Amino acid sequence: MSEPESELSSREVEHVARLARLGISPDEVLRYRDQLRNILHHIEALNRADTSKVPATAHPLDERNVMREDRRESCLEAEEALRNAPSREGSYFKVKAIQE
Amino acid sequence: MRLFQRTIRDLHQMLVDREISSVELTESVLEQIGHVGDQTKAYLLVTRELALKQARAADERLRSQRDVRPLTGIPIALKDVLCVKDVTSTAGSKILKGFTPPYSATVVDRLEAEGAVFLGKTNCDEFAMGSSNENSGYYPVHNPWALDRVPGGSSGGSAAAVASGEAIAALGSDTGGSIRQPAALTGIVGFKPTYGRVSRYGLIAFASSLDQIGPMTRDVADSAVLLQAIAGHDRRDSTSSPKPVPDYLAGLDQGVKGMRLGVPKEYFVAGMEPAVEQSIRDAIRLLEQQGASIEEVSLPHSDVALPAYYIIAPAEASSNLARYDGVRYGYQAEGGRNLIEQYMLTRQAGFGAEVKRRIMLGTYALSSGYYDAYYLQAQKVRTLIIDDFKRAFEKVDALLGATSPTVAFPLGAKTQDPVAMYLNDIITIPANLGNVCGISLPCGLADGLPIGLQVIAPGFREDTALRVAYAFETATEFHKARSPLMGAAA
Repeated sequence: MSEPESELSSREVEHVARLARLGISPDEVLRYRDQLRNILHHIEALNRADTSKVPATAHPLDERNVMREDRRESCLEAEEALRNAPSREGSYFKVKAIQE
Repeated sequence: MRLFQRTIRDLHQMLVDREISSVELTESVLEQIGHVGDQTKAYLLVTRELALKQARAADERLRSQRDVRPLTGIPIALKDVLCVKDVTSTAGSKILKGFTPPYSATVVDRLEAEGAVFLGKTNCDEFAMGSSNENSGYYPVHNPWALDRVPGGSSGGSAAAVASGEAIAALGSDTGGSIRQPAALTGIVGFKPTYGRVSRYGLIAFASSLDQIGPMTRDVADSAVLLQAIAGHDRRDSTSSPKPVPDYLAGLDQGVKGMRLGVPKEYFVAGMEPAVEQSIRDAIRLLEQQGASIEEVSLPHSDVALPAYYIIAPAEASSNLARYDGVRYGYQAEGGRNLIEQYMLTRQAGFGAEVKRRIMLGTYALSSGYYDAYYLQAQKVRTLIIDDFKRAFEKVDALLGATSPTVAFPLGAKTQDPVAMYLNDIITIPANLGNVCGISLPCGLADGLPIGLQVIAPGFREDTALRVAYAFETATEFHKARSPLMGAAA
């Protein structure tokens, strides 16, 4: 297991914000960098625990692969699903072009 | 005693005896909201018309004695993370401003079927992320015991509503302590059931492997009544448990005689206020006098629960909150040359600072090169925490400790320091990671501010947690203390 880098850089903050589709101002980059550094510093304590022989818990329950009967059911009507849309055209959500 | 000051069980009796009507009761609570609502800011939305309509329907049901249930005609507040069909539900976030869900959460459907009365949507930290309610996208909540103090979070509005007489009971949600910690800080009872006990369908998701809905009430018996109404399998939530739901009221008064209660030594954390520690030690002694045998136990990985939580919860949140893109619902920013830019502008303006912090923390922990060191390691630590509880519960029936290491702190005291804020949840987080249940109940006051005792029981042993809590409550008067705001209106 590789050791996480101790200091988060401004470039990494910008990269993470981009991955998360979060617009971020130059001021915010600096503020989040310092705050996240501090939080990550406390999170390093995780490595105190010896987990070499421990399986990961992804989910707390015993139940697996919950299936229902394959039967047709009613679902949300298009009008209902669209009624909160900020922007629509006919029975579609309207979005900007993905490329300019 | 005024109607809005009473408990569910009292009021149920009065309604059944036709001593009062649900409309009278609902008006009493709405009037109290009118009196103190500007001071607590407990609600984001008061659904006055809906409440009175439901109250009239409940009165009809009571009059005809048709399917009268324990919650028929009882005014209840709902945390704003719960979807109510056609009623604005925002999760305390500007990104969902004006959103009206096309369907209701299962817990909402169940309360409606009981004939409960919905007072409105309570304020909370944005997307339930916070421990003080100061992360609300709208305005902070003030503690009814001292208006310059926080009510705790994230279910701070629900807690303040119950503590100020602005609701008879409320629902909250708890991902790392968000029901129990505000309950402790406002002198009420808050119960986080075991993950899977209550359906999460229609709960606006924060961290899907940890979130759980639960009751916030004036006493332990009311907590049992409200849990009874919402617990049980739901085919619309595949993570809800098919285990049968016991009768929570039936075993309530069996007492603690012969029970084995454990005190985790790790739960007396550094920085715990002396008055809190003293109250908890007194509470433990009292339960011993009631016939329980007390022993010290160890949950050795408690110190790594908080760091594990602050990887797992933000990681899940970063994924859950990806859906807020301004396309299908909610706020959409103007401008942006293309779709990606519009996403980024929408999310920049729509989310508050703490939500952005957690999205970035979670995205970072899941990103290439860091996954093993952070996320996978945190999931392994989660296994260790589950095993800690399993070992402890081989020896004892339930665990006792404080809910919060401190009483309510002043507004603004921790807003500049995220880590200090996160430490509020140091003794509530393990129950979420460990998949057990925990209840907080009043056990004292320090300089007029409430202190909460936490009782933790094994997974799906809500009956045990309630039994211990009820034994403590019936032997003490702490739950009868009322906040100045609730009392002043009498």
